[in-house]
Parts: sequence; C-alpha cells; structure tokens
Amino acid sequence: MAKALLNLVDVQVRRGMNTVLDGCSMVVHGGQTVVLTGSNGAGKSTLLETAAGLLPVERGHVQHGEIVIIDAEGRRRASPSTVAVVLQRNGMLGSEILSEHLQTAMSMTGQSVSIDPFLEAFKLTHRANDLVAHLSQGQNRKVAVLAGLLPAFASPSPALVIMDEPDAGLDDESIKTLGRWMDALRSAGHALVVATHDERIMRHATHLYDVGGGEWQTQSPADAGAVKPPKPRTVKPLSPAAFGIRMHLRTMMWLNANAMAGLLTLGILLSLGDFTSDLTPTQRMGFILAPALATGLCGEPLVAALREERAGAWWRAVSGKEPHAGWIPLAIGAAFTFLTTNGLQDAREIHVVGAGAVLCFLVWHSVGWTQRSTQRLARPHAVFVGLLTPVLILPYLILVDFLA
Amino acid sequence: MRLSEVVLFAGFTGIGATLLLALLWAPSVSINAFESPAAQRIFYWHVPAAWAAFIAFGALFVGSAGWLFKRSEWMWRLHVAGSEAGLATGLMAVWSGCVWGAAEWGTPWDWTDVRLNSFGLLTLVAIYVVLGRNSQPDGVETRDTFAAFGLYGFALVPVTYIATRIWTIRHPGPVVATGDGNSINSDMGLVLLIGAVSFTVFIVGHMMASMRLTALEQRLERMQQTMDGGV
Repeated sequence: MAKALLNLVDVQVRRGMNTVLDGCSMVVHGGQTVVLTGSNGAGKSTLLETAAGLLPVERGHVQHGEIVIIDAEGRRRASPSTVAVVLQRNGMLGSEILSEHLQTAMSMTGQSVSIDPFLEAFKLTHRANDLVAHLSQGQNRKVAVLAGLLPAFASPSPALVIMDEPDAGLDDESIKTLGRWMDALRSAGHALVVATHDERIMRHATHLYDVGGGEWQTQSPADAGAVKPPKPRTVKPLSPAAFGIRMHLRTMMWLNANAMAGLLTLGILLSLGDFTSDLTPTQRMGFILAPALATGLCGEPLVAALREERAGAWWRAVSGKEPHAGWIPLAIGAAFTFLTTNGLQDAREIHVVGAGAVLCFLVWHSVGWTQRSTQRLARPHAVFVGLLTPVLILPYLILVDFLA
Repeated sequence: MRLSEVVLFAGFTGIGATLLLALLWAPSVSINAFESPAAQRIFYWHVPAAWAAFIAFGALFVGSAGWLFKRSEWMWRLHVAGSEAGLATGLMAVWSGCVWGAAEWGTPWDWTDVRLNSFGLLTLVAIYVVLGRNSQPDGVETRDTFAAFGLYGFALVPVTYIATRIWTIRHPGPVVATGDGNSINSDMGLVLLIGAVSFTVFIVGHMMASMRLTALEQRLERMQQTMDGGV
C-alpha cells in the first residue's frame, strides 16, 4: 500500500466551548480519495482544518508522512509533503491576479505546470490577468479550487489535497471536470480528503468517512478519465515575505495607516517652527525618531487584509507562515527619518537614518506579531491591540538615549 | 449573605476606615520632606491599592497557567477574577499616584521612571485582557489567547516590584521592610497596615464574587445551549 500521507491519531479538537472532534483517528494513503460525510456541525470542516495544521489539538497529534506536524503540547513542524488546500472561504485577496494566485499556489512545490488547459476547462481563460476582486463568486470559487488542485499536479512527490466543499458555487459542467481531476490525482498517487454533501463528488471517493459516527465505508470509484499529466518546470517558491511585499506595493496599504501616521507626526513637528535649537541632544533625537516610531506603531496592515476570504489561513496551511511586509518598514522608516532631519534642519547623519529604519522595522513587526496573536479569536478586530503598544516606547527611548 | 459578599463588605468597611484614619488621624508629614504634605495622605490608599494589584496579578498568572496547562475551569474563573481585580486596583493605584504626583512632583507622570511605567504597562495589559475577553464569545480560542497574555504580562510584576530598589528615579523607594532602620513612623505604619489588610480582604472578596459570577454565567450559557438543542 502507498505511504500514509495523513495520519490523525486520537485527535480531540475544541471550537468555542464545544468538543467537535473527540478521539478521531484517520489514515489516508496516497492513491486514496476520502470523502467526509456527516450532517452540518458534525465536524467535517474542523477535521479538514486540523489535518491542514490550522487548528490546535487538545489531545493526540497530526502526522503528514512520518512527521508530526502538530501535537497536544502545541509543538508545530512544517509539513514534509505538498499540502494543497481549498477552504470553505476562497483563501485569496481581491488584489491578487488570477493567474498569479495559481502560480503562487504551485510555487510552494518548487514546480509549476501550465495553467492554460485548466483555465480553459473552467472557462476562465479570458480572465487570467484579471484581479480576483473583479471576478464573480462562481469564478472565484473555481480559482480557489484550481489553487487546491494545481499544486498536486505540479508536485514531484505525492501531495495531500484537502478540500472543504469544493463543489459549492460550481456549475454542473465544472463539477464533472473537478471529478475527473480528482480521479487523475488519485491515480497519480496523491491523497485527497474532501468534505462535501454533493453525491456527484462522493462517487469519486475510494472511502467514505462518517465524521459524526466514525464509520468507514469503501467503494469503487468511477474510472478516471484520461487526463494527460502536465509537464512540470522548476520554479522558485514564493515566500510569504515576497508575497507580502508585492501586496504592499500593489495596494499601497502601508500608506493608509503607517505612512499617514508618520506624515502627520512630521507635519506636527514642522508646524511648531524652529524649536530644535532650544532642545537638548536627547530631546532633538527624540523628535527626529518620532515619525519612524509613529509609522511602526500602526502595525502590519496585512494582518487585517489577510482576513479577507481567510487568505491568511490559506497561507498558513500551504506554507506554515503568513505574509508580512518584509523590508518595507526599513525603507519607510529611513525615508521619514531623512525627511525629519531635513525638515528640522538637523545634520543628516547616516547612522541616524539607519536607526530610524531599524526602529520602524522592529516596532512594525512587533505590533504585527501582537496583531497575529488574536487570529484564533472569533472577532479579532474587536480586540484593542493598541493598548499593548506603549511597551514599544522602551526601545525608542533606549535608541534615543544611545544616539544622543 | 454569601461568604464572598461578607468578605467584600468587610473589605469595603476597612477601606472606608482607612480613608477616615488617613484624613483625620494619621500624623502629618514634615513640610521639609514633602512639597505637598496634605497630598501625602493619598499614600494610605495608593500603596495598599498597588499591593492589592500585585495579589490580583498573581492570581491572574496562576489562573492563566492553570487554564493553559491543566484546562481547569476553576483556574479559568481565577484568571477572569484576577484580571478584573487587577484592572480595578491597578487603575486605583495609577490614578491615585497621578493625583499625588501632580501635587508633589508638579507632574502626574514621569516617562523615565521604571516603577511608574512598568506598573502602567501592567495595568494596560489588564485593560487589554478584560476588554478583549469581553469582546469575544467564550471558547478555547478566547481563553488560550488571553491566558497567554496573562501569563507573559506577569513578567512585568517582578520588574515593577524591584524597580524602586534598583532605579530610584522619581518614585520613592520602599518605606517598609527596608531593613535599614529608615522605616516610617509607627502611627503611619499602623494606618498603612490597616489599609493593606483592608485592600487584601477587599481583593479576596472581589475575586470570590467574580469567580461566582463567572460560574453563574457559564451555567446560564449551558442552559441556553440545551434550549438551543446544542451540546
């Protein structure tokens, strides 16, 4: 029998105050398509998200291949397998380009295949270069499904494909096409775990697992239609930082909060007139670094942006990390410090500009880390993360003192 | 009357008595030693409030650890009680200190003082935990997130405690248990002791009442879920 790509061992998962999965054990080997059945609230989505490493377990552990990717002690490790995911939400940002999102998904495997035949089958060829925000709901769903299948087609080794109601919003023709692709992937040795109520998808299963009752049923799926395996080519994986920088530059989201705070702080300082000559060196340095601090204190705008269609969860599932702004805070911090020294007619010293860059970078990512700490909450936007930011005044004061 | 109510009432009574003693009986301080001798009487509330806050933050730490490592419902109630009591007494210590500081130092706050700022941060953590928890439905996600903050925020308590022993910048150093014979006048010490005991009793009563309230809220939630047809 092919290698076990997914192994849930005596897993207990809670959501809210309820225990949704209790003592759940499941093994999925390459070459199997396991369809999860059960009524609404039985725990299908919870099981899939746990398998994808998105949810902590109260008991037991989750293995991908030989590696335990998450255990009850909270330890996490990166999956050794290609993990391709289709969540109930589409997992993409509106500012992504359709073809770009598919390439991003495939790049996690280090390989890529031509997306043209897939776009043609889903009647999306004419939309390949459109923003996701401009697509209809049905088209978005097709893109999300493709982003869950293409990594497996591109992967050099057996992949784990996890799909939560991929049929939702798809027309009949697209569901038939989806079924053929699922069979092709199964025949190629990949493992598929799918939650669905649609019998047309269930027909493609080798096993049916009733999540509520814990019962297994085997069946003989329909024969796989001939699908010519696409020829892969090597690509460089897109890192979460690279994606984050791309989104920052494309949407200018850094301007809305971070840069505005820096600009307003700079503006206020300039409006005070020529006051720096009356200041001590420490006070002068404090004013020079203030815009960089203000910029960083606004935190990481991507954290909120990635809540759109649970794009952040999709990234965590396929790459283990969420996108972030990377080096952008360094540039913005340096720019504001440079402007402030000019505006306050102070000597332009490279080490001060560098210090402003580093201060902005550290504060920005620290606040971003705090913002991400709320991602498990039902209403993360309702939490006042800003209340914790005063602690970051300490590195600012240390830096001011040091430079002065 | 429940035990928690009795304890709370006793604490309130003691705090009231402390206030009266502070205003009417405690000896005045020398005008050579203090800029505002009258404002010094805030001391009899300010110090016990800070002491009670430390107890509350300790309870927050223990409760947070108990929830995270043992998944104990009782410990979760202790976390809730500790955070709310810490918020109440933390704010009490901060505002009483600001009032006193404005009168004594000419400024309500000093950004360079480690004691002031670390205690202020502790109080902000308490505000964050209480407001954040109240904005979310109860569940393991909410509990894990805020228990983690309760655990890590406690790291500020030893910093705050030893701050005035290592860096005496603006906030004065310890006046009791200094071990060097420079302790306060015995009458002042007596009022301070009454205040400390009163605030301790108050904070224990507060936490007992809070834990009972949380237990009742959980019981109500379970009954509502049963009526919903849930688990």
